[in-house]
Amino acid sequence: MDLNFNETWLHKINPTLKLFTMILMFIFVLFVHQINWLINLTFGALLLLLVFSGHPKKRVSLLLIPFLIIFISTSSSMILFGKGDTTWVKWGLVHITEESFYRGLHLGFRALIFATFGLTFALTTRPVNLFYSLMQQVKLNPKYAYSFMAGLRLIPIMIEEFLTIRNAMKVRGVEQERGLQAFYFKIKSYSIPLLSQSIRRAHRIAVAMEAKRFTGERDRTYYYKLGFSLNDGIFVAYLGVMILLGYYLSVVWPLFPVGDVRY
Amino acid sequence: MNRGLKLTDILVTIVIAIGFGIVYKLWGPLYYFVKPLGLHIDQLIYGMWFMAATVAYLIIRKPGVAFLAEVAAASGEFLVGSEWGLEVLLFGVVQGLFAELVFMAFRYKRFDVTVVSLAAIGSAVGSIIMDYYKGYIEDLALWNLSLFLGFRIIGSILIAGVAAYYLVKALEKTGVTNLVRPASKQDYDALDQ
Repeated sequence: MDLNFNETWLHKINPTLKLFTMILMFIFVLFVHQINWLINLTFGALLLLLVFSGHPKKRVSLLLIPFLIIFISTSSSMILFGKGDTTWVKWGLVHITEESFYRGLHLGFRALIFATFGLTFALTTRPVNLFYSLMQQVKLNPKYAYSFMAGLRLIPIMIEEFLTIRNAMKVRGVEQERGLQAFYFKIKSYSIPLLSQSIRRAHRIAVAMEAKRFTGERDRTYYYKLGFSLNDGIFVAYLGVMILLGYYLSVVWPLFPVGDVRY
Repeated sequence: MNRGLKLTDILVTIVIAIGFGIVYKLWGPLYYFVKPLGLHIDQLIYGMWFMAATVAYLIIRKPGVAFLAEVAAASGEFLVGSEWGLEVLLFGVVQGLFAELVFMAFRYKRFDVTVVSLAAIGSAVGSIIMDYYKGYIEDLALWNLSLFLGFRIIGSILIAGVAAYYLVKALEKTGVTNLVRPASKQDYDALDQ
């Protein structure tokens, strides 16, 4: 599997700033109830992901497939069962109204914009840089940051262990059975060894870190030094323009003839 | 007795949480493939996303562990690229906080299935509050909303409450929990004899 990508300006943004700006965007979007505005914002976010993530278009498109399923599944309950007055279809329990339809669509776009920002962050941020930055910019306790970085390093070992257990069961001829009891057996035979080994390993790492005089003091030196740059300004400006332009366009060229989607 | 979190506690909690983070991530596709079945059947499996808090608390039995575990699991899920993106991070914070508050209400002294189930309900309430702001759930027809809430709470009791309790019980037999739990009164009494 080829996982190469180009570093773009999105990769060079300060990770803490990126995280906090995106959280602010999240909260902001929760207060956007105009569907036309939200659609414009979503396009702005998608543009950022598709053009500037530095990953091949094919990979980004593949990662976008689940988003469509989420879009449909998030909007469908509200479209089919939401409150509304202008009835379009009524069939048994299903009651589609104009209001519920647009509200459902709004929820779909909301899920889409959150997912897009999340994927953009995940694709353009190295976890190690994020934790170094959190220690330096917002004084996150090094105990937590280093625990996290150590924990992330254990993921491949967990996967390897999972495969080992599976192979061991195969070799010993454990039969694949169906039913609730077999399901319970399966869960137990994987989760218990995986959990207990992870706990033992984490315990050993902690002991080793303390033996090497890791104290978790905030006053320490850092191998990677992270600061701010012009890219941070570009990022914040992009989001600012996106919000304002999105609002302007939603007023001038509304896609749907509705305003507030709340009932 | 020092009740604060030591490096060992933090590291073990975070490693458990990252394990759950992967489960959370894999749970996503399952959730949204069940969802189109309609009638909120998907809500019955929602409780999986509260499990890190209760399992970590039962293993380590210290204040702050439930919150840390849930936040760490959500961060892990977020960093590997969750389909829900940023949402999971904020849901994680709220769910962890509510579970932690339940354990705090019992002064971190009870570790039975009732308390854990209550914590699971706490997390469910936290997630419902978030959904209230995010999903306009109050605008669902009443019968549909009740189904949604009922299934989510039942699911969380079964998965994050009962299943988590028995999982840790099975884990105790391996002896690994003795590594990380604080010494209890029984241990001190055993020394006196």
